[in-house]
Formats: sequence, C-alpha cells, structure tokens
Amino acid sequence: MISFIILMSIVVCFSAILALALNFQWGKGGMVNFGLSGFYTLGAYAAALLILKGGANAFVATVGAMLIVAVVCGLVALVTLRVTEEDYFAIVTLGVGEMLRLVSLNEDWLTNGALGLAGIPRPFGASVPPEMYPYFLLGLSLALLAFTYAALTVIARSPFGRLVRAVREDDVVAATLGKNVLWARVRIFAIGGAFIGLAGSMHSFYYQYIDPTQFTNIVIAYAFMAVIAGGRGAHLGTIAGAAVVMVLLEGSRFLKDAIPALNSDQLAAIRIIIIGAGLIALLIWKPQGFLKEYRLRTEERT
Amino acid sequence: MYIIQTAFNGVISGVIMTLPALAVTLLFGVLKFPNFAVGAMMTVAAYLAFALNAQLGWPLLAAALTAALAMGVLCIAIDQVTFKPLRERGGITLMVASLGLGFILENLARFAYGNAARSFVIELARPFRVADIRMNYEQMITLSVSATAMLLMWFLLSRTATGRAMRAVADNPALALVRGIESPRVIRWTWFITGLLLGVGGVLIGMDRALEPPMGSNYLISVFAAAILGGLGSPLGAFVGAIIIGVVSELSTLVLPPNYRIGVPLVAIALVLIFRPQGLFGQPYIRK
Amino acid sequence: MRKTRRDIIKTIGATTASALAAPYLNLAHSQGAPIPIGVGLPLTGNAGAYGPDMGEAARRTAAMINAAGGVLGRRLELFIEDSESSAAVAANLTQKFINVHKAQACIGYWGTPEGMSSRPIAIQNKTVLMVSSAANAITEGDTQGYVWRFQMKATDWGIVIGRATVDKLGFKSVGIMGLQNAFVLPIMTEFTARMRAAGRTVTDSLIYNPEQPSYRAEVERIFGKKPEAVFCFGLLPDFVSIMKEVYRGGFDSKVVALSIMADAEGKFVQAVGDKVAEGIRHFQPMPDLSAPGYKRFLKLMGAPADRVYLFPPNTHDQIAITALAMERAKSPMAVDWSKQIIAVGNGPGEQTDDVVEALKLVRAGKPVNFQGAGSTCDFTPNGDQIGRGMGQWIIKGGKSVFVEYAKP
Repeated sequence: MISFIILMSIVVCFSAILALALNFQWGKGGMVNFGLSGFYTLGAYAAALLILKGGANAFVATVGAMLIVAVVCGLVALVTLRVTEEDYFAIVTLGVGEMLRLVSLNEDWLTNGALGLAGIPRPFGASVPPEMYPYFLLGLSLALLAFTYAALTVIARSPFGRLVRAVREDDVVAATLGKNVLWARVRIFAIGGAFIGLAGSMHSFYYQYIDPTQFTNIVIAYAFMAVIAGGRGAHLGTIAGAAVVMVLLEGSRFLKDAIPALNSDQLAAIRIIIIGAGLIALLIWKPQGFLKEYRLRTEERT
Repeated sequence: MYIIQTAFNGVISGVIMTLPALAVTLLFGVLKFPNFAVGAMMTVAAYLAFALNAQLGWPLLAAALTAALAMGVLCIAIDQVTFKPLRERGGITLMVASLGLGFILENLARFAYGNAARSFVIELARPFRVADIRMNYEQMITLSVSATAMLLMWFLLSRTATGRAMRAVADNPALALVRGIESPRVIRWTWFITGLLLGVGGVLIGMDRALEPPMGSNYLISVFAAAILGGLGSPLGAFVGAIIIGVVSELSTLVLPPNYRIGVPLVAIALVLIFRPQGLFGQPYIRK
Repeated sequence: MRKTRRDIIKTIGATTASALAAPYLNLAHSQGAPIPIGVGLPLTGNAGAYGPDMGEAARRTAAMINAAGGVLGRRLELFIEDSESSAAVAANLTQKFINVHKAQACIGYWGTPEGMSSRPIAIQNKTVLMVSSAANAITEGDTQGYVWRFQMKATDWGIVIGRATVDKLGFKSVGIMGLQNAFVLPIMTEFTARMRAAGRTVTDSLIYNPEQPSYRAEVERIFGKKPEAVFCFGLLPDFVSIMKEVYRGGFDSKVVALSIMADAEGKFVQAVGDKVAEGIRHFQPMPDLSAPGYKRFLKLMGAPADRVYLFPPNTHDQIAITALAMERAKSPMAVDWSKQIIAVGNGPGEQTDDVVEALKLVRAGKPVNFQGAGSTCDFTPNGDQIGRGMGQWIIKGGKSVFVEYAKP
C-alpha cells in the first residue's frame, strides 16, 4: 500500500506540472489549449527519443523536450497573428494536437509507431538502489514540481506577468498601450509549452515505455478540471486541484469492487462523465475556483 | 476515372459534413462561441435513432426524425442547464463548458452501448453506375436529405420572422434588443434548429459507417474547418466549405498517405487564419 | 441422535490427533512460505472478454498443483489483478507484483501494449515475464532469458495465412490493408513477402489509422484495383465500417481477415448482417483441439468436449512451465529457474501432458518434455513459442464454419 501511495504521488506530481502549464497559458494568459494531449505526447516522445536515439542523458533530454515543445507551441501561437479570437485559436490547437498524435502513431522510423518506445532508462537508475528508487523518483518529482511552481510564480509577478494578465483581460487595450500583443502571446504559449514538455518527459521516465494509446484526449479534461477547481490563475490551487482530480480518478478504481454490476468500460465512462459534469458545475457555481489568484494588492495600501 | 470516382467520393464526404457545419456556424452566429460538443451531440442522436430503429424495430426514417426532434428539445434543455448560466462570462468559458459537455455526452453513449461497433437495421444495397461512376442508394439519400435541409434553412433564415430575428441577433444583439426582438426566444429556436441539424447529421454519419462512441467527435476538426473556411456565421459558407474540405481531403489521398487526411482541414484553417480570417463568405469581423 | 460421552471423547481425540498431525502433514506437502506468482489479466477494457476464463484456468491449475504437494514442497500463491487492457496499468501491476508481492514470475499479459510496458521492468528486476501477446518486438533484443511468449509470433501468423493462400485458396492477385497497430504490421510484412515469393501480384497495400471518420479513400484504393482477394488485418470497429463500404461500393474481391475482426463472438455478423459477411474467411491461432493436453485441460475446467478456449490454455501452460522449471532448478528464484524453461518444455525427456505427473518425474530426477494444453510448449532460445497452429473459418449464412487447422 505504501508503494502504491508513492507511485500515486509521483503521478500527481507530473499531473500538477501539466496543470500548472495549462494554468499559465489559459488561466493567466487566456489562451485556450485544446491540443494539450498532443503537446504532452510531443514532450514524452522528445525526451525518450533524445535518450534512446540521441544518446543524451536524462537532464539534457528533459531540457531538450522542454525546448522542443516550447518552440512548437510558439509557432502555433504565431498562426493567430491576424486574429486573436480565442475561438479560432482553440480550434487550431485541437487540430495541431491531433496531428502530433498522428505523427507519433504513423512515423515508424522515428517513433516506432504503434509499437511504442520501450526501455527508456530511469534518471540516475544506475546509482540508486532499486528498492529505494520509488522514494528517489518521488523526491525528484517533488523537486521538479517545486521548480515549476517557483519559476511560473516568478514570471507571473514580473512585469511580463502583468502584461500576460493584460493580454488576457483585454488585448485591444494592451495593444493600444503600445504593447506587442502578438509577441506576448507567442511567449505565453511557449513558456507554458516548456512545462508541458517537462511533464511529458516525467511521464516517459515514470513508465519507461510510451506508446500512442497512453495519450488520449481525456488528459485535456483532467487538466482543465484541475485548473478550474484550483481557481484560474492560482498556482497553489492548481496543484491542489490536480491532486484532488488524480486521487478521485485512481480512487474510483475501487468502485469496481463496490459495484460489480458495472464493467470497466462503463466505469471509465462514469469517471469521464463525472469529470465533465464537475467541470461545468464549477464553471457555473465556483468560477473563481477554491483559491484566489495572486494580485498586487495596491487597493489595500491606498 | 479513378480521380473522378475519388472526387465524387469526396463530394459525399463533404455533403455528410454540411449539416454539422451549418449547425456550428448558426450557433456561432447567434451565441458567438464554437460548440465543441457538436461531435458528441451527433453521436447521441445516432444512438437515439439506433435505439428506436434496431431495438424497437421502427423504420429508420421515423427513427431518424424522432431522434432529430428529440435532439432539438434536448439541445434547448442542455442550453438552459449549461450555457444559459454562463452566457455573460464570454466565449472562452462557453467553449470550455462545451468541451466538458462533449465528454459527458460521448460517454453517456459509451455507458449505454459500450465500445462495440453497431449498425442501423437497413438493407444495404449494391451500387449502380452513372457514366461509370459508382453511386449507391444511401449516398442518394444523403444527398437529398442534405439538399432538403439546406433549402429549408434558406427558407427559414430569409422568409420567416424567426429566421430574420436570428440574423438580426447574429448581426448585432444590442440593436436587436432595442428593436424589440426577444433574444431568449431566438436562442431557444437556434438551439432547436441546431439539434435538428445535428440529429439528422448524426444519423447520416451512422448510415455511412458503423456506430461507435467516437463517431461524431472524429468529424470535429473537419466540421470546424468547413465552417471557418466558409466564414463562421455564414450558412452558405458552411455548405461550400464542407464540400471543399470533403473533396480536397479525399483527393489528397492520391498524393499523400491516407492516414494524414486530417492534415487537410488543419492546413485549411491555418491558411484561412493567415490570409483571409473572415473566410470565403464571412463578413470582415471588426471587434469592439 | 444424542451424543454419548464416548462419541465426544472420540471427536476430541480425532481433532487433537489431526491438529497435532497437521503441521507435519503441511511439512510434507508444502514447506515454508508460499511461492508468489503475479497474474496480470485483461478482466476489463477492450480485451475484457478474455480475462475471466484465463483467471479461472490459472486458479484451477495452481489448485491442482498445490493439491499434489505444491512446488519445492511449497504452495503456489496467485495474485490475480486486472490490467484493464492498458499499457500503463499493466506496468503499475508488474511493479506491484515484483516489489510488493516479491513475485518471481509475472504471467498472463494478453495484449502487446501490456507486454511491452512490463518487459523492461521484468528484465530490470530479473523476474520472468510470460505473455500471451503476438507482436514480434516482445521477445526481440536481449531479454536475458526473462521474457517468454505463450502465443504464436505475429510473423508466424503471416506464414500460415500466406501458405493457406498459396496452396489452398490459390488467389493470383491480392490487395492488403492493415490497421496501424503493433501486432498487425509484422503479419502484413511477412504475408506480403510470402505472396511476392510465390509469384503472386500484390496490387496495392496500405496502413490505416483507427477511429477515422470514414474509410472510403482506403477502400477505394485497395478494392478499386480489383484484386482477386483483399487481406484486411485490423480490429472489429474498423472492419465493420470497411465492410459496409466494400459492399455498398459494389466490389467483389474475396475478403480474408482475422477472427478477432470477423467473428469476435458473433459481434461482426450482428453489426453488418449476413449478406455483407457472406464468404469472408478468417484466421486465428488456437490450440490443437485433438491434442490430449487440450482434452485434459477441458476436464480441468469442467467444460464440454466441444468448447474452444483460445487463451486460457496458455495461462495453464504458463503456470505448469513455471512450476516444472522451479522444481527442476530446485529454486524459486527466476535467476535460476528461467534457465530450465527450455529443458522442461522442449525435452528431451519423457513426454507428458499431465503437470502433476511431470512434477513427480522431475522430483525423481528424470528429464521431461512437457506437452501443454495450448501447444506442445516448445521454445526458441529467445523465448518464442513454436508448434502452435491456426484455425481457419469461413462465414456462411451468418455462421463461422471451421475449415482447417494448420501449423507454420
């Protein structure tokens, strides 16, 4: 049971990083990312391929995966250079995400196609005794989560962070004030993308085997749920939201024993129905989530 | 010959997309958000028709019409519960809610019928030939149903008070209100017609292939591409966009591996956004 | 009847005697802690139909071995868990079997993703992994003798289907279409090579994605060239859509497929109707139904004599081979007994299909050549099973009619 809790905690860590990344793009910057699962796939494959075919070590592979996803995300944001309507952008991200998943499935020479990539070595796997490894990986994951949290918090409180919020609230006003909105949008989406890449790399290191079936669009629902539950824009809230979503999801596996009449397809369906309903319910009744976004509290000082 | 046959197949694929593309564009015109649940709504309608047709033994035509009407009513109900409370929060919130709604609807179908492929109870027929092009009976049904629906839509939008009100709200909701157009009523009508279109569209897709939970959402990107290409908000554009996307997608398989067909709608969206954001038939969109 | 004092004393005496004797009896039958075995099965998910019977076979086989004294005087203890037909869940299960239950054998593993995701974990932890999946990649590369396939390798499917096509069906020209899927591609490659080698024309071949809006373009490309027969390798949902398209397109090439597509316990015919399904041939690896090992297995399962089990016999064989190899190595550690798998499976030695009998022989120090329920349990050094065959059926009037059984 202890080992199960440790493994669960690691999964929560990389889900939380993914949710923080989405929170930055959507919660802070107002850029909806419906291609999340595709970018996550890209991160996982980039890290795995840099190690398996590029001979890189885990650190270089992770940084490389972050850069690759950031660049691709930045390019996607460029497509919207003439329209900044979120509707169009959401559809574009959905399409690009789907395309990335198709590439992972069809380009055998690179990704091994449906067979997937096996034998991804664990970071520091040689120097940590196997029985201690889960604890080590949990420590590493917590450290990376803390790093993500710190990095995104610093960015959010910087002058650029204020520009990000300005773009979210009203990009026309931001543009009128002489800010380069297009460039800001590219940077917002790329920075978020880097951390999606980090989450993807951790997925590869955790499972040591990746194949296209692991990356379904359900990831998008989970991540949006985590961000909405935690409060759009609020970092700590997002982490808490991710933890609650993952614990509920994994916990619902035990439902199978409680309700033997349901088969697992039906249970999987119920899980997603609950997530979808929770998402809408939160949007309606608790749109600010359970924790508030950090703001400079100028009004209190005056 | 092969090229002409492939192009004809593309027209059929395009015609299947016209009704959902029309639904997307109509809803966007009035409510100003793209509905990501259109795919799942078609799936639900197809399974409703399946329940009546295969399980209760109704003829498919009766089952399809009943399912479409039911979907129209269901869409009004969904709007009351889901979108109405969020109406003032802007397009992004509505869009995210529609994504959640799509997950719910698709999985309701999965919960009830599982992942196995199913079919309507209709006699499949061998094709006939016109000038050496193979056509079949179901394709003719698809063509005539879509054409009829397009004509009815044209009549509705241009010749009826409701249709004119819908267009007025689409053009300028504030002005429409001032001129005494009751927008909640218009919104209900819009959802009802959207439901009808998606209901019929779902059944057409179900006739074309097997019924499976992801059958509708597989079309999502192509349908959006059709609507954007034609110009979001333009019914004529949706029709033309759907045919273009269908034909180009099928023809692309002559030169590209068929498993990247989804790239065609994607490239279409990107080109439109870069060179002509208002689409082929849309009005240049001026914000604020 | 009133109990007399004597009866009561007798009862107490008997109880005491058996209580006293019990530890010694146990000692005789199973000394020390039980031997843990992890069993990962698709109890749910897209292969959920297959798991429960495999689990029952595992339980009955282990119970039979335990009743006959266990292995190395110890009881076999099974941990049966649901892989949900998912790679990620199977990987977590394998970690749990090895780290929590200290299993030295992880068996079951129906699908290719489950096998592929668990393979590195098993090798890393020096634990034996026994799978029922077909993809070649499962046993490719350096497995260090820890990965064993209890199923026909995908390439062999291509060989059997190819030979049946050349020798019996005699198609001159074929079109080939396959789903983008790990176990389908090696079948396609091998089959295509066989057709070319036999001088048959391959008019065209392509790979398609799952969950496409329609398969019109693919069907047009493959069937439009009018080959005598089209071989389609995929899964049930795509095959239903494809066959509707083929029928309505008016194509008349013969169609050959796999049973998981064209039969799937009657689901295919139910979905497309008798007319569309008429004349489709389909192939699937299966046990030799006439083998004494399979008949013995039916008795163990308490099943009627005409029951066709596709996968549960493999699970039975996995436990039997594990038990025999452990007994022969005199060690429950995979490092030791993994080296004895070929010795007990391939022989040379006395042939027997009764695992209890085989265990007695091994304990007596005699060599055995175990004949399983699903196959003859012969292996290549890299862990592939040989000697398993395929059945061929043809759909007539909505029913699958058995044609023949053939080995590669």
